[in-house]
Amino acid sequence: MSVMRKMQWTTKNLALCAVLTALALGLSTLENLFPVSLVIPLPGVKLGLANIVTVFALYELGAAPALVILLARCCLGSLFAGNASALLFSLLGGLTAMVTMIGLKHSRRLSIYGVSIGGAAAHNLGQMAAAVITLGNTMVLGYLPFLLAVSLVTGTLTGFVSALLFQAMAHVRLSK
Amino acid sequence: MKKRLICLALALVLALPLMGCGAPKTETLDIFAMDTYMSLAAIGDGGAEVLQACSARINALEQKLSRTIEDSDVSRLNAEGSARLSEDTAALLRAALDYSEATGGAFDVTVAPLVSLWGITTDAPRVPSQAEIDALLPQVGFRHVHLDGDTAALDEGCAIDLGGIGKGYASDKTAELFSESGLSGGFVSLGGNVYVHGVTAEGNLWNVAIQDPRNTGNYACTLRLTDAFVVTSGGYQRNFTAPDGTVYQHIIDPATGYPVDRGLLSVSIVTRRKNGGTGAMADAYSTALYVMGETAAVDFWRQQGSFDMVLVTEDGRVLYTPGLSDCFNQTEGSGYDYQCLAA
Amino acid sequence: MTTSASQPELKWNRYDAVAALIVALLAVAAALWFYLPKVNSGGLTVVISVDGQQTERVRLDRFTQATVSNGGYTLRVASDGEGVWIASSDCPGQDCVHTGRIRRGGQSIVCLPAQVVVYLEGAASPDAPDVIVG
Repeated sequence: MSVMRKMQWTTKNLALCAVLTALALGLSTLENLFPVSLVIPLPGVKLGLANIVTVFALYELGAAPALVILLARCCLGSLFAGNASALLFSLLGGLTAMVTMIGLKHSRRLSIYGVSIGGAAAHNLGQMAAAVITLGNTMVLGYLPFLLAVSLVTGTLTGFVSALLFQAMAHVRLSK
Repeated sequence: MKKRLICLALALVLALPLMGCGAPKTETLDIFAMDTYMSLAAIGDGGAEVLQACSARINALEQKLSRTIEDSDVSRLNAEGSARLSEDTAALLRAALDYSEATGGAFDVTVAPLVSLWGITTDAPRVPSQAEIDALLPQVGFRHVHLDGDTAALDEGCAIDLGGIGKGYASDKTAELFSESGLSGGFVSLGGNVYVHGVTAEGNLWNVAIQDPRNTGNYACTLRLTDAFVVTSGGYQRNFTAPDGTVYQHIIDPATGYPVDRGLLSVSIVTRRKNGGTGAMADAYSTALYVMGETAAVDFWRQQGSFDMVLVTEDGRVLYTPGLSDCFNQTEGSGYDYQCLAA
Repeated sequence: MTTSASQPELKWNRYDAVAALIVALLAVAAALWFYLPKVNSGGLTVVISVDGQQTERVRLDRFTQATVSNGGYTLRVASDGEGVWIASSDCPGQDCVHTGRIRRGGQSIVCLPAQVVVYLEGAASPDAPDVIVG
């Protein structure tokens, strides 16, 4: 019905973005503590907790701020990890997910769950592309079926937590 | 706007040092030396320099030990019957003689004339006559070598070849260089003489596979090791088939002058630095125990005990020493009967 | 509580199920496309090294054959898609030819006179050996 609401870059919103970025970084670090690879022995398998922030920002603030938070989180994250090559993976994964989620959200058919699942799947596709480019061979694509299957679960999880957030916020009204 | 740019630049500059921490780098180096192909790898800062140092050390050793370089210590000794040796060569020869003594002559650096007679590692292998062998046997035997400090002398007609222990000694030198350098990990494979140092880039013990003598596409077993030397000797590595169908492999028994045929397909010796084990010992013993055969080898190990080993027998068994039991992994589907030797 | 246009839809609806199904189908399709055609040569790369320097790198399942000359000797490397071997060489000793076929990551064929090494580099698997003795 209406155009996508554009967020005003007020100081308050800027601070909110900064806090969300920090939160995303914190969640990234946290999920590295969980040895998910013991349960699912694949490289690149993550719970995707930081995506909760991305989804939340997308719905609450709009596409542009969500994108900025994502870029900041990827760049800072790779600096903190001391691993510049991981940047390509994060960025490709994150951007693919972002574009997909913006598109899916715009279609208005899907709930937050559908958008999250689409985002998680797209994230894995993006990381796969980065892996193929870096390694110069397509062998890693063998992991794709499993990662996509896992993304169904992580996407649902992300959607669930985001939904909880919004339900809780309905009582609090954080923004405005 | 300018203030923003300055802040951004400042933020980036401050964040850059954080990039210092990351996974350690792996450097590799491949060289041809000591008549074989050598592969080295170093993990950690300064790895490239360490590998260059190893390469230089190996080349320096080759200059002293090679039989094809005219003024090497070994060539001069063989040509003139006596010579003053450099520190490395003297140390190596001393060790070689000690191992010969310990193994009752199964390891023997004077066996070179017999090896040349058979020519199994050359283009023209042949089966010599008993007479030819008998003519050379008197000149084979470690007691023909006399070493006094750094001066060596050979009895008439004898010649030495340190090829059976030289690579092991070279691996000892590279191990020392690795330790002094403080690298977190690395490995070398000097024509099959392996040394593994520290841990892999992922922080795990090194996974060392022993080739299956019956099927070179597969492994007999794998070992998880650190700071250890592994050397394998086996007839399957080089052999030739005579016109009458008999297969002769390249390891000659110094006592009989014939290629060894005592029921073993391969012998792998594992020595650990923390127990004072060396690559030279692993190299020498792997040949010696192959020559001895299963029973004598197991007896020798029981008396000596300072090393571990894996024996692959002709009748399909893989025997390993208890010291390896917590790092030993069988290979599925290899068809071998795995047995741990009793202490 | 106002319902603005950007208030997210929080309930799982049937379009979500469709999206999930699409992702699942993608997973199956990727699995079929990837695992059906080949079983074994997965991930291995044939590397040819001359005088210690890598001169050729080709995926094993795309490698057909190669001729390498160095040090005055010529070697022919052949493959059947699952492994490689030296089909012929004019070097003395013929150790490289006698090595036979290699088909696992980490294995190598060495021709000393020509200073040529042909080896297979594998996709990293936690059980793959780091170094082979023998």
